[in-house]
Amino acid sequence: MSQPNDPQEPFSLDKSGPAEPAQPYGATPPSDPAPYGSTPDPTYPSAPAYGSAPYGADPATPGGVPGYPAAPGYPTAPPPGPGYGYGSPPPQNYLVWAILSTVLCCLPLGVASIVFAAQVNGKWAAGDVQGAQESARKAKTFAIWSAAVTLVLGLGYAALMIAGVIASDSSSM
Amino acid sequence: MTATVQPGSGAPSACPSPAARVRSGAARVAAPVGVALVAVTGAALLGAVNPHQPGHYPTCPFLWLTGLYCPGCGSLRAVHDLVHLDLAGAWSMNPFLVLVLPALLAAWVAWLRRAATGAARRRVLPAWTIWTILALVLAYWVARNVPALAPWLAP
Repeated sequence: MSQPNDPQEPFSLDKSGPAEPAQPYGATPPSDPAPYGSTPDPTYPSAPAYGSAPYGADPATPGGVPGYPAAPGYPTAPPPGPGYGYGSPPPQNYLVWAILSTVLCCLPLGVASIVFAAQVNGKWAAGDVQGAQESARKAKTFAIWSAAVTLVLGLGYAALMIAGVIASDSSSM
Repeated sequence: MTATVQPGSGAPSACPSPAARVRSGAARVAAPVGVALVAVTGAALLGAVNPHQPGHYPTCPFLWLTGLYCPGCGSLRAVHDLVHLDLAGAWSMNPFLVLVLPALLAAWVAWLRRAATGAARRRVLPAWTIWTILALVLAYWVARNVPALAPWLAP
């Protein structure tokens, strides 16, 4: 899987698009006096390894995930629909809250939240912006419900314990 | 987790104006900082009030209702053990929590960085990774209740 800092193929000159503004480690200026007495080595054509668009410059995906054009695992974002300006960022999928409620809430709500989180990313990758946002809304709702139910259960337990209704006999959370 | 922010990777058109960034930065950093305060407070409480002793905390409602362990059973005791730097104890209570905690911390750091810089979320996990997480959670849920696996997985 391609990482953002993986070295790029140094000889793929076609990928370093013409719009790339800066090539910080390559393309010595033409006025450089070639201090070691050699003509510029043609086998190292302007060393594009660090300048060849490490974060994309892929004009086909203006608002997407431009750094991963070749990785099949990272889908490019869908084309920005009307009203999304320069391409809206992917919607929050609340996966962290889903996992937190799975680990801490002891209720099936957390598992349902994971389902919605997966739906968010799947629909987004498929270009279904509205579906992704709908799933994101459900994921958020479930996260809030998990927190609320946990809070109510905890406070209710504390109230009952203080009132002496519950004997202190168990702890298995 | 869901998004790893790459500083400096923002397309020029995706950057809000400097004034907007300054205005929203301080306010938006409040959320991750607040969550961290709540988490630290909770961990401190769990470290001080021992969940291994009965009666301090409510029983897991799923366990109370069904008699079966859920993926979260043992989490409070695991956090207590972690606060006391007892990794083996935490692992014996809830290995899932121990495994997932570094990922949660990384997600929090990414969140904080996003909030501080005003950068947008740029990376989307492939959906199959989340489905895999779901499958693992469900398998873990079942496996905890298998008597043969209980010595390793049950709290």
